[in-house]
Amino acid sequence: MPERVILSIGTKKGLFVADAPKTRGSFALRGPFGPGVGVYATLIDTRGKPRLYASSCNPFFGMKVLLSTDLGKSFKETKSAPAFPKEDGRALINIWSLEAGDNKKDLWCGVEPASLFRSDDCGDSWEMVSGISNHEHARKWQPGNGGLCLHTILRDGKRMHLGISTGGHYMSEDGGRSFKASNKGIGAGFQPDPYPEFGQCVHKIVSHKDAPGRLYIQNHGGWAEWDGPGGPRPDIGVLRSDDYGRSWRSIAKGLPSDFGFPIVVHPHDPDTIYVVPLVPMTRTCPDGAPAVWRSENGGDSWKRLARGFSKKESYFTVLRDAMDIDELKSPALYFGTTTGQLWIGRDGGEKWDCLFDSLPPIHCVKVAVV
Amino acid sequence: MTRDATITILVPAALRACCGGASELPLSAPSVHAVLEELEKTYPSLYRSICDETGKVRRHVNLFVNTSHVRDRQGLDTALAPGDVITILPAVSGG
Repeated sequence: MPERVILSIGTKKGLFVADAPKTRGSFALRGPFGPGVGVYATLIDTRGKPRLYASSCNPFFGMKVLLSTDLGKSFKETKSAPAFPKEDGRALINIWSLEAGDNKKDLWCGVEPASLFRSDDCGDSWEMVSGISNHEHARKWQPGNGGLCLHTILRDGKRMHLGISTGGHYMSEDGGRSFKASNKGIGAGFQPDPYPEFGQCVHKIVSHKDAPGRLYIQNHGGWAEWDGPGGPRPDIGVLRSDDYGRSWRSIAKGLPSDFGFPIVVHPHDPDTIYVVPLVPMTRTCPDGAPAVWRSENGGDSWKRLARGFSKKESYFTVLRDAMDIDELKSPALYFGTTTGQLWIGRDGGEKWDCLFDSLPPIHCVKVAVV
Repeated sequence: MTRDATITILVPAALRACCGGASELPLSAPSVHAVLEELEKTYPSLYRSICDETGKVRRHVNLFVNTSHVRDRQGLDTALAPGDVITILPAVSGG
């Protein structure tokens, strides 16, 4: 069977799946799966026979994990979803992240309230990872507007990086048994201490397999004009680390705003990254004119990519997990908006087209070639 | 109150997959709390849809004994009599 490009699209009203030939000329849409229920995390697991996972975050009846083994033609619930031990006293509010583990059946899951779970049977059973879930800081983390969520899980051998909003960046060097806060250089605009040990509102973290030790963060920026305690905090929003996340420096210079949610790295070039700058107050496109910004030198300079977007009167938000990039030779970016549009940026974001313009508000987008 | 009241649970369509498609479940239990304990053993998926992992009834799930919301009676301690009907209903929502 020829390879196809699969999009898994989590929305406020369920999961949609779209697919297209590798030419990406036209995508066919199906869904919603888990109709009427919000999906905040999805994973296309391409290890072995492809599996599509999605969280189904039912405010009435609790969290479920959906699984498809037929490329998103049908879904069923796994036998269980992550749940805190009864004696813990916390109850799951949302599932924010699903990531593949080492073995084909291994999964990691980040949830709200910020905690980490692990499955070794494709999501049929789950175990809480106490090293972060019961971290000495855990009861001091505060929820942001989106809730107190563990939304980013990055793994590199024994190293693991977690993004928590608001908790900051935590790293493990022993495979996830123990974690420490590692936020040197990551600012916070909403605390008297501009650079606290922890408690930052990290929005998304990415890395690249060809650049060990390098990480990029889209942090909660937008504090350049802050005149409260501690004074202005310009350029704390987009950051880079070259020492496995031990320290961070700003790479926001040249962007129209250092506020945004997603950050994506090019599949074939660790120096090429993409962000979607937003107006801090409204969290919408500056001047109503959407644009993705690309750096091809690791954040030293940025270029505005807007060919195909409206030049005015467009005020959407792109959420933290709502942008991804495929791995074809000339990759395309994809992002979903809170206004229900799904955009494709062919040729690395040079030319944008709207694939679907009336989906429910989009929470997350993942792409894979299978 | 009786120790072995035979009651009926009405299951909403959204949760019937948790109990083999049944719309009604007969059960013998002296209180609403005992009903939930029995569901945890016999239909764990249904129980998890009604209660969170701390054992609390989920915020947007309403339990009625006949036509009375359990919060207007004795909550989960509400005693049951033979023939009582427990209805599980999601709260109304919009958006």
